[in-house]
Amino acid sequence: MGAVTDDEVIRKRLLIDGDGAGDDRRINVLLKSFTKWCNSTGSPEEGFTQYQRMLGTLAQCEFSMGKTLLVYDMNLREMENYEKIYTDIEQNITSAHDKISECKKEIQRAKRIRKNRQEYDALAKVIQQHPDRHETLKQLEALDKELQQLSHIKENVEDKLELRKKQFHVLLSTIQELQQTLESKSGDCGDQVM
Amino acid sequence: LQRKLRSIWSISLLILLSRYKDRHLHMSVFSQSFSPCGRFLAAGNNYGEIAVFSLSSALSPDATDLSQTPILTFTAHEGPVFSLFSTDSHLLSAGNGEISAWSWAELIKRNTKAAWTRRPNYKSSLEIPEINAMTVNPTENSLVIGGGDNNIHIMDLESGVFKSVLQGHTDYIHCLSVREREGEILSGGEDGAVRIWDHRTGQSVHCIEVYKYEECARPQYGKWISCLTTESDWMLCGGGPSLSLWHLRSMSPTSIFPLSGCQRQANFYQDMILSVGEGQCVSHCLLGGEVKAQIPCTPHSLNTLALNLNSTDNRVRVLTVGGSSHQIDVFTNLSYRTFSLSF
Repeated sequence: MGAVTDDEVIRKRLLIDGDGAGDDRRINVLLKSFTKWCNSTGSPEEGFTQYQRMLGTLAQCEFSMGKTLLVYDMNLREMENYEKIYTDIEQNITSAHDKISECKKEIQRAKRIRKNRQEYDALAKVIQQHPDRHETLKQLEALDKELQQLSHIKENVEDKLELRKKQFHVLLSTIQELQQTLESKSGDCGDQVM
Repeated sequence: LQRKLRSIWSISLLILLSRYKDRHLHMSVFSQSFSPCGRFLAAGNNYGEIAVFSLSSALSPDATDLSQTPILTFTAHEGPVFSLFSTDSHLLSAGNGEISAWSWAELIKRNTKAAWTRRPNYKSSLEIPEINAMTVNPTENSLVIGGGDNNIHIMDLESGVFKSVLQGHTDYIHCLSVREREGEILSGGEDGAVRIWDHRTGQSVHCIEVYKYEECARPQYGKWISCLTTESDWMLCGGGPSLSLWHLRSMSPTSIFPLSGCQRQANFYQDMILSVGEGQCVSHCLLGGEVKAQIPCTPHSLNTLALNLNSTDNRVRVLTVGGSSHQIDVFTNLSYRTFSLSF
């Protein structure tokens, strides 16, 4: 990786050579013109114009230096910004992962609940088919009452039957006795008549 | 009767067809089982072969066509492999009236030597009844086998001894289920009865004749019960009669599912019921009786449905279905078929 970036750096430097060469050239030209100006034997106007020209080049150099410093600051701040965004995104990713696993658990829970509800519904359907418990109890009670009434009536009828039987028995036995007494009496009477 | 005829037919054509290149056309997958780690799937077909697929490589991001073919195929039995079951370490397969056990660790290393092969004590030695269903009763560590001799045989897994025979069905048994908590074994058979047995006494505690209930019966299809599954107090059963949900405490049917065709396997999954059978789809139903969705798949008629719940790795939590095709459909998302494994 280090070797690659070095190559990249060298390649970039060579590419931007125009700019870099411009600045370097400017400084070299400035130095040369300064030494020439120091050793110049020309007229004072020429010397002054040289001096002005040199100040101009110096200002240009300072200007480009200022520009590169600002660019450097900007790059540093951009880097920080990107770092921040990077960490933000990482946090979002982990929280999204967590949310996904939570949701998966929720789904499992919901499926279990749905299954239980469906089982409940299925059983409820079957239970609904059977008649209501209260109604059946009421029907049972009504049937009980009927049974009791009927057995009551049966008892009454049986009692009456017993009573009639006894009464008839008494009647029949009295008739028989009367017959017997009549027969014996008539025998006596017959004897008496004879 | 249909199953018996089918098995005789397939055994007799086995030799002929398995030699031809288009054996794939006549192949049917009857059973499936996932390995205890959840990374492999074993499937049994009508030629008596078992194929082991590596799910982790078929589902990995860089899967190729080759990873959708078995890592190992071998002939396990002379007859069709109607039932496969995995314990913690072994794969049990049933075919031609016998049960073989294969160590999963050995199968993954492509070693096809059976750990053991046992046969229940059949009364008649003339005709060997096929074994249609197998399940394990974990509390007793016993293997429950239902077969063509109308009886349920119980074998102790540690000693290999056949402990008892449950008699009561009047025709062969299609499917079995175990209710661990209550210690009951349920069996459904060709005679249309779902019998509930107490595994300790070996007596039939209840007998539900599903076809006698008007709302379930479909006399045009018959009375046999080909699929049976239980979960706590609920039971799903179907076959000739419609697939129905029963509440076992009250022994009453609570919901009937309007699925055309006979269902061959059904499972409870979360808040849904998944069911396969005649029909080129996997049906998703709600407990209330409505059919929520029917997902199309490759085989025209499905025999087996398996859910891989063994592994914690979410990648291999799949649903696989197999039927009258050499392809086994894999669903990573229940709503659509993802791809197919090829036998």
